[in-house]
Amino acid sequence: MITGAPLILYLALGLFMFTTGVVGVIIRRNPIVVFMCIELMLNSVNLTFLAFARYGLWYQGTTDHGDISIMNGPMMIIFVMAVAAAEVAVGLGIIMTIFRLRQDIDVDDMNLLKG
Amino acid sequence: MDTSPFNIIIAVLLLPLVGSFLQVALGGPVIRSLGVVKGRKAMGWLAVLPILAAFIVGVYVTGQLAQTTSRDFSVTYFDWIKVLAIRIPFELKIDTLSMTMVLVITGVGSLIHLYATGYMAEETDYPRFFSYLNLFIACMLILVLGGNLPMTFIGWEGVGLCSYLLIGFWYKDVANSKAANKAFIVNRVGDWGLTLGMFLLAVSLAINYKSLPVKSDRFLSYDVILPNVLQLFTGPHAWMATVAAILLFVGACGKSAQFPLYLWLPDAMAGPTPVSALIHAATMVTAGVYLLNRVHILFLMSPFASGVVCVIGIFTATFAAIIAFAQTDIKKVLAYSTVSQLGYMFVGCGSGAYWTGMFHVVTHAFFKALLFLGAGAVIYAMSHEQDMRRYGNLRKYIPITFGTMFVAWLAIAGIWPLSGSFSKESIISAALGDQLAAFGGSPVSQICGYVALLVALMTAWYMTRLMAMTFWGPERWRELVPEAHGHDHARHDHDVPHSHAGHGEDIHGFFFTDEEMAVRQASEPHEEHHGLTADHQPKEVPPSMWVPLVILAILSAGAGYYLNQNGLFEHWLYPNGLEIKAAGEPAEIVPGTGLTLLTVSTVAAVLGIFFGFLVTLKGGRYASRIGWLKDLAFNQFYYDKTMMDASVKGGGEFGRALWQGFDVGVIDRIVNGVASIAGGFGSLLRKTQTGFVRGYALLMLAGGLGVLCWLGYALYQQGGGR
Amino acid sequence: MGILSIITFLPLLGALVLACVPKDAVKVIRVLALLFGLAAFGVSLTIVPAFNSHTFHFQFEEHVDWIPQLGISYHLGIDGLSLWLVPLTTLLTVLSIAFSFYVQHRVKEYMLFMLALETAMLGVFVSLDMIVFYTFFEFSLVPMALLIWIWGGERRNYAAIKFFIYTFAGSIFMLVGMIALMFLNQRVSHNPSFDIVDIQHNVANGRLWAGAMTAQPFIFWSFMIAFLVKTPAFPFHTWLPDAHVEAPTAGSVILAGILLKMGTYGIFRFCLPLFPETITRQAPIIAWLGIIGILYGAIVAAVQPDWKKLVAYSSVAHMGFVLIGIVSLSEAGLMGASMQQLNHGISTGALFLMIGLIYERRHTRLFKDYGGLKAQIPIYTTLFLIVMLSSVGLPGTNGFIGEFLAMLGFFESGFNHLYGLNVVMAGIAGTGVILAAAYLLYMFQQVFYGPNKNPDNERLKDLKPWEIGIVLVFVVFIFWGGLYPNTFLAPMEASVEATRLMAIDGPKARPSWANADDEINMSEDAAVRGRFERHHLPVDGAEPIHPVGEGTMAALAASPVSLLSSAQPNPSRGVTTP
Repeated sequence: MITGAPLILYLALGLFMFTTGVVGVIIRRNPIVVFMCIELMLNSVNLTFLAFARYGLWYQGTTDHGDISIMNGPMMIIFVMAVAAAEVAVGLGIIMTIFRLRQDIDVDDMNLLKG
Repeated sequence: MDTSPFNIIIAVLLLPLVGSFLQVALGGPVIRSLGVVKGRKAMGWLAVLPILAAFIVGVYVTGQLAQTTSRDFSVTYFDWIKVLAIRIPFELKIDTLSMTMVLVITGVGSLIHLYATGYMAEETDYPRFFSYLNLFIACMLILVLGGNLPMTFIGWEGVGLCSYLLIGFWYKDVANSKAANKAFIVNRVGDWGLTLGMFLLAVSLAINYKSLPVKSDRFLSYDVILPNVLQLFTGPHAWMATVAAILLFVGACGKSAQFPLYLWLPDAMAGPTPVSALIHAATMVTAGVYLLNRVHILFLMSPFASGVVCVIGIFTATFAAIIAFAQTDIKKVLAYSTVSQLGYMFVGCGSGAYWTGMFHVVTHAFFKALLFLGAGAVIYAMSHEQDMRRYGNLRKYIPITFGTMFVAWLAIAGIWPLSGSFSKESIISAALGDQLAAFGGSPVSQICGYVALLVALMTAWYMTRLMAMTFWGPERWRELVPEAHGHDHARHDHDVPHSHAGHGEDIHGFFFTDEEMAVRQASEPHEEHHGLTADHQPKEVPPSMWVPLVILAILSAGAGYYLNQNGLFEHWLYPNGLEIKAAGEPAEIVPGTGLTLLTVSTVAAVLGIFFGFLVTLKGGRYASRIGWLKDLAFNQFYYDKTMMDASVKGGGEFGRALWQGFDVGVIDRIVNGVASIAGGFGSLLRKTQTGFVRGYALLMLAGGLGVLCWLGYALYQQGGGR
Repeated sequence: MGILSIITFLPLLGALVLACVPKDAVKVIRVLALLFGLAAFGVSLTIVPAFNSHTFHFQFEEHVDWIPQLGISYHLGIDGLSLWLVPLTTLLTVLSIAFSFYVQHRVKEYMLFMLALETAMLGVFVSLDMIVFYTFFEFSLVPMALLIWIWGGERRNYAAIKFFIYTFAGSIFMLVGMIALMFLNQRVSHNPSFDIVDIQHNVANGRLWAGAMTAQPFIFWSFMIAFLVKTPAFPFHTWLPDAHVEAPTAGSVILAGILLKMGTYGIFRFCLPLFPETITRQAPIIAWLGIIGILYGAIVAAVQPDWKKLVAYSSVAHMGFVLIGIVSLSEAGLMGASMQQLNHGISTGALFLMIGLIYERRHTRLFKDYGGLKAQIPIYTTLFLIVMLSSVGLPGTNGFIGEFLAMLGFFESGFNHLYGLNVVMAGIAGTGVILAAAYLLYMFQQVFYGPNKNPDNERLKDLKPWEIGIVLVFVVFIFWGGLYPNTFLAPMEASVEATRLMAIDGPKARPSWANADDEINMSEDAAVRGRFERHHLPVDGAEPIHPVGEGTMAALAASPVSLLSSAQPNPSRGVTTP
């Protein structure tokens, strides 16, 4: 019997974090804040993965437990964290370059791709 | 069948062709080396000799032909077009019809060539003229000697081409070129009919190959067509004879200037007078009559077609005669007279007596060529004045011309025993006695015959008017101011400013330099304008010009009598008679009076001459009463103007409307429209590329949500993902 | 390495050699290009005497598998239809290269494109695999468009883009059709194949279209659209005037002389043999397009102020005759169409070349800048007159033969009420000769007759000897084709008749390229000439060895079609098997 908070609460927290992150990405104009919201989304996904791993839902309902690893969830988390780190590195570099160029990093002003 | 004595006939074709080529090749060098006068004389003789030689060969071959019994030979050289469907060899047909035409063409042709050496003596482009003239003779000979319809067509179009080149000979005046274009294009309308007729004959023979009496794949050769259609176009297929005949007649109308395709002939008078004599009087325009004689079986089998020929012939004859009354240019009177006489020939052919058409061709060649050459002599004497209102009493000054034209005038009026009377009489008697030409059973040629008598009177009348205005009466040319302008004289511009405008660097040497230009202008021969001054007398023509006139006068006088004896010409042309008996006995002209045709036609001719003198020399006061008729007649009843406006201006407007309105306006608009649709679609799609990053993010969110919803729906469908 | 591959790729080799020459060595480039052109011409002439005129099967065949999984093979071959197109291509290219000695700007690329274009054009005419055909067909567009784009007139951007996209769009449909044919064939023979010999074999015995007859019109039209755009037929012709006016002279010569033939050749090669039921039914539509093209082209040509545009519209009119000859599906008509292709190449190529000669001097194409040139440049005028007469179809020149035979064939089919045609259409088409005379003579008069009023024309010198030489080559062919056309007609006969029988006969009576026993009777007897025979020995109740197909006009007399019956004959008649 798994004790602790019910799974649904973890999922709810994850959903809340994700939604916040999404809304932040769309609404905020400062790219650094956008990156923070992206981090928020990624972490919410991490939390969800972990919750499912913890609560064993990966193999709930299957008869054979042998070929499904309990470590699938945490494995994904490691990948996500690596990607997040790389993305932040590159993204912050881009922001620095743009700032040096324009002295302004408002996302709405970066519309050179306009057709 | 041993055709070896006739193999020489190819020389008749080759001699003028070689002559034409030699004129082009040797003309420049000879004139440069011998000087202008002598050089031109040499080139002139070089032009006459091939035609003369061809005439001699023609006489020889005719003699050979006359000694045979069948009088019908064919010489084949090679296969011109050979496909699985049809074979058209290069074959020449030597029979009485073709040799008669050969003799006329080369005989009259050589006389006209001789005349032209004198007439064109001041012409700068002397060799070019004779090369075209020789080429014309060659093409005309191919036309008459051709043994199948396409060969005749080669000659047909070839003479059309030469006519075009010769009418537009003085090309510096655009009006001449336009007349040449008109001649070629109107001829082409006739050619359309001729080609369709050819196709009809070929296809109908081929489709019934099994039942043909003469089985051969040369479906367009005369010796295959004529015997076959005799058997084939009978019964339920009789209409094919009518259709084929009418289509071929359309072609003949184009070449022989019958209504409605006659309108090129008056304009063709823009060419030099020898051209008018040779092409538009003696030879080319008779090609239609020749064709009708060739395929006469078709017309014999179709009363309707013969009726059409008769009616169109007589209508043209009358129409042209009326117009001739009002013309003031001497050449135009003769042109309309030619159209009218051609109508006569067609009446003869339509009545089933095809030999009468050819008879009139021969006599007409003599006296009409004489009239044209005489008119040319008058024009030459009057320093290129062509308006008859400025002539008068010329018989005192140019007696030889007058004497010869006198003979021709009586011949064309139909005074016995000159040649014209015999040929006209034979036509009229054939028309009056004929039962062939009929529309739906009622014969038409009697009416045509009576109208032809009336036209004979009119012919005598207007020709007398021409003669009276020119050779009798007061000397109206004495009232002239000395600056008479020439009608058929090439103009030479001296005053066009020279352009030194920059052509840039002339690295390829395309242009003459200043020095070269100076040399060119110094060496160009100048042409003199000489107007007729008040004390300037018209001078008689040189012998090179009056010798042909005299010869033609002798022929005009005696040829008719000679050929008519005992039906010599009729039996020569049609030794076996006609395949279907057509011509009946001539009825009494006016029933109950016992008047013979000879009497009536002579009376008509004399009356015409009498009225001609009366009206022309004395009858000025009646002129105003019929002034409206004169104006109408002068303008060809506005037929020419209407046709030209409709085709040239109307055609131009239609073409431009078609081009701008349809090609550019509709088709190109659609094409460019399709292109701009692609562009428009692109600019529509462009609006999604806002460059607004947050908008892109929102779209990504929406897309992601959409995928999730779809995934959820699919899982739900599957039953919850088990 | 077969002779056809050598002919096809020799110019490309020349282009590669030229690519290595530095671009300043202009003289070397010109001479090299001319040499390669002459070499290609010389080699292409060697196939003419070695050609067997009595068989319709492909000769000088080369067959190498290229992509067997898709059925694409490198298959080249020549038959009567393409025999004369190959030397025509090489000849016109040589003469264009010789003329292009006047080009001063970027000579290396120019000659390179000309030679590459020559390879593409030759490849179209010799290839027997559909994908190879398509490749060469499309490949010819690129150098041509570049020739227009770089060396053209003022509106060259528009003209080049229009030319490229218009013809490319048309042939995309053809690609779809080709793939469809491959699949249909695969249904029957269980192997993918784009080879037309294989596909036609299955069409000939009726197995390919059995059960797919409803798809036939669609695939037919997909091919036809591509070829109609290329021909060009009304209403798909509007790319031609723009392309011709803006192209450099040599480009126009090649465009008119050869590229337009690719369209009609395609109809001969694909639409006739592979779609027998459809072509006999769709004939009236194509006939009307041809007739309208003849009349429309002539009328619009007469009002043009631009010399080259006039000749461009005259091309539309001439190709109209080719179309009506093809669609008449009669032997005379098809021979006339095939001959008219060649004649048009010579006469219109010559016209453009001569216009180019004057354009090099005066840099204007408008009639109002000319007039009275005959006195100034008489030799040029005489040569132009001869070429113009060939265009007008004067008997004695080559133009007459093609038009005459095409119209004769069209009249024949109309007279016999075959394929939905009638004689009224033939009559209307015949009026085209009147209009042709009208616009050509008007053009001649505007340029050469009248007074010489324009001071810029005063100093024009006549043609140089080498220019006269180039034009004389055309004149020789004009008279050769007019006076002794059998040189050109005789080798084409067997193939033309076979193609025709492939189109009109019923299954089992159609000749097939794949079947070596099939032959056309070429005897002298008009009653059996042109019939199709299958010469294998009978094997226990198999098909007979007697003539099984209908032939020419005379042989038609054996069939129930005659004067007496005006009923619409079954288009797949001719099955006389007992």
